[in-house]
Amino acid sequence: MSTMVALLLVLLGLMVGVGGWAGVRSYLSIVINFLLIFFFALLISWGANIWLTAACFIPLKLLTIIYLGTHKTKIADKSFLSSFSVTLIITILILILNYFAHATGVGDQAGEDLIGLSDAPGLNFGAIGVIVAIFSTLGAISEAAVAMSAGLLELRQSNTQLSISDYYQSGLNIGEDILGTAVNTILFGFFGSFLALFIWYSRLHYTFAQIINDKLFVQEFMIMIYSVIGVLLVIPLTTFIVSHIKK
Amino acid sequence: MKKKRLVFWLMACLCLVATIATYFNTNYRSTIAVVTSAKQLSAQVTKDQYENRDRIMTQRLTLRVLNHQHRDQTYVVKNNYAESQLLDQTYRQHQRVFVQIRKKQLNIVNPKRDWVIVAIISLLLLLMITLIGRKSWRILLSLLLNSSLFYLVIHFDIQKNGTKTILIYSVASILFASVTFILYQGFHRKMVAMLTSTIMSLLVAFGLSYLIMQLTHEKGITYMAVSYATQNPRSLFLGQTLLGVLGAVMDESTDIVASLGEIIHHDSQLTGRQLWASGRAIGQEIMGPLINVLFLIFMADALPMTILFLRNNNAIAYTFEYTLSLGVLQSLISAIGIVLTVPMAALAADIFLMKKRGADQ
Repeated sequence: MSTMVALLLVLLGLMVGVGGWAGVRSYLSIVINFLLIFFFALLISWGANIWLTAACFIPLKLLTIIYLGTHKTKIADKSFLSSFSVTLIITILILILNYFAHATGVGDQAGEDLIGLSDAPGLNFGAIGVIVAIFSTLGAISEAAVAMSAGLLELRQSNTQLSISDYYQSGLNIGEDILGTAVNTILFGFFGSFLALFIWYSRLHYTFAQIINDKLFVQEFMIMIYSVIGVLLVIPLTTFIVSHIKK
Repeated sequence: MKKKRLVFWLMACLCLVATIATYFNTNYRSTIAVVTSAKQLSAQVTKDQYENRDRIMTQRLTLRVLNHQHRDQTYVVKNNYAESQLLDQTYRQHQRVFVQIRKKQLNIVNPKRDWVIVAIISLLLLLMITLIGRKSWRILLSLLLNSSLFYLVIHFDIQKNGTKTILIYSVASILFASVTFILYQGFHRKMVAMLTSTIMSLLVAFGLSYLIMQLTHEKGITYMAVSYATQNPRSLFLGQTLLGVLGAVMDESTDIVASLGEIIHHDSQLTGRQLWASGRAIGQEIMGPLINVLFLIFMADALPMTILFLRNNNAIAYTFEYTLSLGVLQSLISAIGIVLTVPMAALAADIFLMKKRGADQ
């Protein structure tokens, strides 16, 4: 048995043991998420239109993460609405900033990995970079949206007499806690994918100026900040959506 | 209220000035030039051996050097790039670039991108101040402290020249967790419970994963595919995985221990069994989304390479092995850590908050 299969089985066992039925659903959401990413790569490599394919896959990924990860449809509905709106705003931001950052394609550091691969494959790597950035932020955005709407709906149920300004204040308090912990998850997640690259920079004695102008660093750093900005935007938007859309 | 608005506008001005100053800054060791004109000359259709069509574009760039000995000299260069912009890229008018000048020949090295970094940090700062106000300092401080610590750890790793990598990153994780928890929670019993839960979860998860790796003889793990490896890729991979999951495990420990602490505080008749049930109920809700956060960060990273491999007619199995498999393994080990945090956090709450409550009374 290969290590990956063994780990997959152990994870399934643990998730069922700890989470029961909810664990099975979460496990399923991760598997479907992987398949979505892989199909996306396959479709793009066959020459499908990048923007159209992404427009189909982004909502699908949000639906998978949110509806399979949450039990209550009421929470899921609100979370989906708010995370989808935040994703739209973030997409516009990514399009603008990626244009100016001018950091498309793979870095110079990938040299060895590219041997034998075509350097003119006929794909728009600028667009692919934008989609990679959007995909990376989806997890953090939807996690924050679910936590936020669950907290707010709970608050409204336990306290029906809440005034609008008190409600917004509580929304901010809940949001602050969510932001604090989400920032850690995002930061260390990126440390985890940054590590080899940073050791590379240090070993080859890159100067500070070289690092912050380097294509790969700029790509990764911007993706990290996009995720944090995404979580920040979730706070007011979810507060607004939960208070205005009653169902 | 007026004061708050004043602070905001002051910050906004400061950020704008910083971005513009970085944009126009020429005080670098390398030579900087600005593209004064960019003219598209020709486009040639090419086909690679897999029948992928691309266009090789040629543009004529006029550049004016902005600093050092060649200052104010003008150069004209031709820039060839594939329309895919995988390795090379187009340049636009007014763009600032780092260049090298040798024997009256100018070579473009890299576009200047640092001002975009300043711009995006500014945007983040302004949004944070507007939305959560004065309390953002703690989040910003933790970002700053952890990044500095990260920098130090890497230097230590290089000093040790890639030996004892696993030990270094294990100690580093404990340091990261302690700093973050002290900053966010202060030093008290709840924080000790959170820290214990974090360390125990990572220890058990990595022990378990390591055991599985040994039992299966690491079959199917392609360490060759670790990107940018400059030292033993195996220990580098484990170090990356450890750091990657740390934040999520801290996040989860905080949530579960804090909620259980509230429950213990309000219900003096609570039994151990009820505590476990509550811990599980809270854990079930958050573990799925958390695993997905990390999974997407690790996988999206490998997406361009995956597409490129597939585009070059590589078999799906081969592509998976060389581009996605390590990300999947990293996600799986992380997921095991995230799931194990649920019982560990409940256990820590039981030991540090329940038992101690009995001792106090």
